[in-house]
Amino acid sequence: MRVLKRNLTAYGFLCAALACFAVFAWYPMVREFVLSFQRTNLVDPPAWVGLDNFAAVVRDPAFGTAWLNTVAFTVLALVCGYAVPFVTALVLNELRHARGYLRFVVYLPVMLPPIVAVLLFRWFFDPGPGLFNQILGLFHLPGLAWLDSSSTALVSLVIVSTWMNMGSATLIYLAALQNIPPELYEAAELDGAGILARIRHVTIPQTRLILMLMLMLQIVATMQVFIEPYMLTGGGPENATVTVAYLMYQFAFTYGDGYGQAGALGMMLMLVLLVFAAFQLRLTRDEREVTA
Amino acid sequence: MQRSTGLLLVTVLGLSATTTACGASEPAAPSPGGAAVTITVACQPAKTAPKERAAWDDDVAAFMKAHPGVTVKSTDQQPCFDPKTFGPKLAGGQMETAFVVPVTNYADVIGKGQALDISAYTGEIKNWDDLRADVRALVTKDGKVYGVPNVHYSVGLVYNRKLFAQAGLDPDTPPATWAEIREAAKKIAALGPGHIGYGEYSGGNTGGWHFTQALYGRGGAVLTGDGKKAAFNSPEGRAVLQTLHDMRWTDNSMGSRLLVGWESLMMAMGSGKVGMMLGAPDVVTDVVTKFRGDVADYGITGFPEAKASLSGGEAFMINPRATPEQAKAALQWLDFRYNTVGKGRFDFARGKTLGNPVGVPDNDVYGDSATGKAIQAEREKNATLPVRNYAPYVRAAAGVPPKAEPAHAQELYAILDVVMSGVLSRQDADPGKLLADAEAKADALLAAKG
Amino acid sequence: MISVGARATERRARERRRPRPIEVRFRTIVSPHQLNSRWGRRIYWAVLLTVLTLSTLAFVFPLYWMVTGAMKSGEELALMPPTLVPRAPTLDAFAEAWELFDIGLLLRNTAFYALGGWLVTMAVDVSAAYALSKLRPALGNVVLGAMLATLMVPPMVVLIPLYVTVSDLGLLNDPWGLWLPAAANGFNIFLLKRFFDSIPKELVEAALIDGAGPLRVLWSVILPVSRPILGVVSIFTIVTSFKDFVWPLLVMTDSDRMTISVGLSQTAGAVPQNTIMAGLVIAGIPTVVVFFFFQRHIMAGLTAGSIKG
Repeated sequence: MRVLKRNLTAYGFLCAALACFAVFAWYPMVREFVLSFQRTNLVDPPAWVGLDNFAAVVRDPAFGTAWLNTVAFTVLALVCGYAVPFVTALVLNELRHARGYLRFVVYLPVMLPPIVAVLLFRWFFDPGPGLFNQILGLFHLPGLAWLDSSSTALVSLVIVSTWMNMGSATLIYLAALQNIPPELYEAAELDGAGILARIRHVTIPQTRLILMLMLMLQIVATMQVFIEPYMLTGGGPENATVTVAYLMYQFAFTYGDGYGQAGALGMMLMLVLLVFAAFQLRLTRDEREVTA
Repeated sequence: MQRSTGLLLVTVLGLSATTTACGASEPAAPSPGGAAVTITVACQPAKTAPKERAAWDDDVAAFMKAHPGVTVKSTDQQPCFDPKTFGPKLAGGQMETAFVVPVTNYADVIGKGQALDISAYTGEIKNWDDLRADVRALVTKDGKVYGVPNVHYSVGLVYNRKLFAQAGLDPDTPPATWAEIREAAKKIAALGPGHIGYGEYSGGNTGGWHFTQALYGRGGAVLTGDGKKAAFNSPEGRAVLQTLHDMRWTDNSMGSRLLVGWESLMMAMGSGKVGMMLGAPDVVTDVVTKFRGDVADYGITGFPEAKASLSGGEAFMINPRATPEQAKAALQWLDFRYNTVGKGRFDFARGKTLGNPVGVPDNDVYGDSATGKAIQAEREKNATLPVRNYAPYVRAAAGVPPKAEPAHAQELYAILDVVMSGVLSRQDADPGKLLADAEAKADALLAAKG
Repeated sequence: MISVGARATERRARERRRPRPIEVRFRTIVSPHQLNSRWGRRIYWAVLLTVLTLSTLAFVFPLYWMVTGAMKSGEELALMPPTLVPRAPTLDAFAEAWELFDIGLLLRNTAFYALGGWLVTMAVDVSAAYALSKLRPALGNVVLGAMLATLMVPPMVVLIPLYVTVSDLGLLNDPWGLWLPAAANGFNIFLLKRFFDSIPKELVEAALIDGAGPLRVLWSVILPVSRPILGVVSIFTIVTSFKDFVWPLLVMTDSDRMTISVGLSQTAGAVPQNTIMAGLVIAGIPTVVVFFFFQRHIMAGLTAGSIKG
């Protein structure tokens, strides 16, 4: 009886959350799956179309390009957004002055609404009076076309993305670095390890888990890139910045009744990302075992 | 806040007017069955255009006064038609009673049963029979009418008269051929940095749309007659791209910026540094009212060497869930605001006091019917601009056959956008190759669509 | 200000006499000995200076450019090369942006959504975490697992079905369309539950013996000791809601109900550059101010998820 009462009370406290999750988290996951096999315009009853949506998505002229762009964006964003924050964190951790200021400044862009960063950079990228070409001009370098050329547009998006996101990774690494026991460095030093050797044999092994975890997190996050192409390039020039998420948006809201096709593309993205997410889950478990 | 209070006040007044009207037992009281009916109508001007908005609110008040029992609520979503929200709004019961649909989406909306059959109510539009028959045909399917055509236009060449004068060109004899456009563009670009002789854009499918305008103008087609194959990889298609490529990279007369989307070109046009662009007369209106262009600077002429013109425009359609009373009231509103000479949008005297560019022939939905002529007379009477500035356009437009958008327009525009951004962003772009690639993509798309 | 300057002068004076060692409170890669060697010190100061300059240029200068850009006239903005300091700084663009974007309304909307979302999220997530942590119902672990599983699903993927669902429920253009999906946040529940787990059992039991009901235990025992985690979750909920773009873009489409991000993105194409910049400055202020005051909470929360609390 007491057990029953306790359970009732507990589920009483849980019911709001259960309802929210059921309707706005679990059901949409199921709906996503169902949607990808249906044709629907939200008004008429949906019709089952089997694998038609998947076929249509694969045949879309921008399908291959979108995946290539997304992978290229992710790789580039990792080169900048992964290595740069780690090196920054390493250096910040060595500094004994202005630590508060540096941490504040690095994280500042993360606090801005993304739309602010994106519209600000749209202006910086202006090939005429835009800040970037003016700086290049200062060093007597030729200006770039930035967003206006299919060869630089994607890189430009990576720059915005890195600028507005790298702060969180930096601070997370910084916290991880501070958790490394100093004795390890002292021991390494006694063994005659130089600075680089200490990084290699102490710092990196000690932060390995968090590094891997962040790698997975960042892959999953950057593969969903949407705001940048949506606001800055409209997928152009020449489809150079069409990403999977952007194409999904196009299917759902620009092309005829494409919710089902957007759903099918979403399923594909989900399958790819689940691989990374599963890997991340394992790492988290490992980490908990290590730290427990 | 104030405005909604005002609206509320008007509503209350309107309601009390109903009771008095009933009390006075007027036999011709138009209130349907004496029951109050509420309709929502789209396209209230945005707050960024306060004067237009005030005029709209006046119209709503006047309409409600004249139609006791009818309450009009306005929505000001911009743009009025947003494909992103259209389906969900309808499904979620949020759709206005009267909403606007651009010509691109007529077939889609009617085909999906998302618009009410209003054949029984067209009588509410007093000038219905004067609307152009070919434009009415666009909203008619299987003999049933699904919309009230609201705007119709064909594409022309919008140009900046002031820049023409500065560049030593005669604003009264705008270019009539592509060769002349090229020459004029060079001269305007030579005025100094920041000047764009001829403006064009791409991105988010808009480039594909403009490519189609240019292609139709030259007599080309996007699809073959049976709609099964792409037809734009043609001499006309190549000519469109070659001309743009030459202007952009050989003449350097298109500026150094790749413009993304309609708004960026309109911004540039409004700032007075763009010489010419393809566009309908509504471009002139928008440049002046939304993008701060100077009314006196803009003129429009016919599309150079036009063989056909991509139909542009919009119609009002009625929510399929509207009650008969609502549908009737909505059509009365459309009649009042959009289809009565001297009232609502055709109240050119008011437009003049608002500083609108009155005189722009931005709508030939009434063609040269009696109503059309009356509208034109009103417009000329209150013109704030020398109407002859637009005479070349009116003359040219009359003789150019309208041509509808291709099936699967948005998907095809997405493919053609690539082509457009190619020539505009890459000096080594090869128009032939771009078109061949696009053709292969379009054929695959059409095959998939069946 | 004066004292800092004075201290700096004093320090410089002292340095001239005898190099002051760099104080090391914790051991890192570089050993204190190396750091305080003759070259170590020189390199250190060089690196510090470089890092300070670079990070200021990279992260502060763009914001400076945004603020000053908003203070320039349209002609000055188009100048090549640009002016570093506005010639005749004016706030006209701010006034214009305020009017054109209707920023007052947008800010009010956004604040309303953020605060409402915060209330709903806290009510839902705190009670759920409390139930899972202290009331321990049957299948509690399954429920928690199912909630955490939602974190594995990329938000962009469920965007369309979630949108369709919200549209089916008639929640478009309704604040609940923002609030309820936000409340279904597995991460919040995870953080809160883990903190509640660390609250000693005895505390709860003592209250129960005193005859307090579960609600009372939550309110007067759990919540007061959980202030740190509540602070972290609150700030993150509010800031996330303020920054969100894609979801409000789809859900809040009425121009009277838009958030500031969406409102700016819709109007940005049709206004001059300096007005856009002014709009961006105004839109950026609230979150930056929050950051200023709650810096420590935010940084604590940032690392709470990835590293053991």
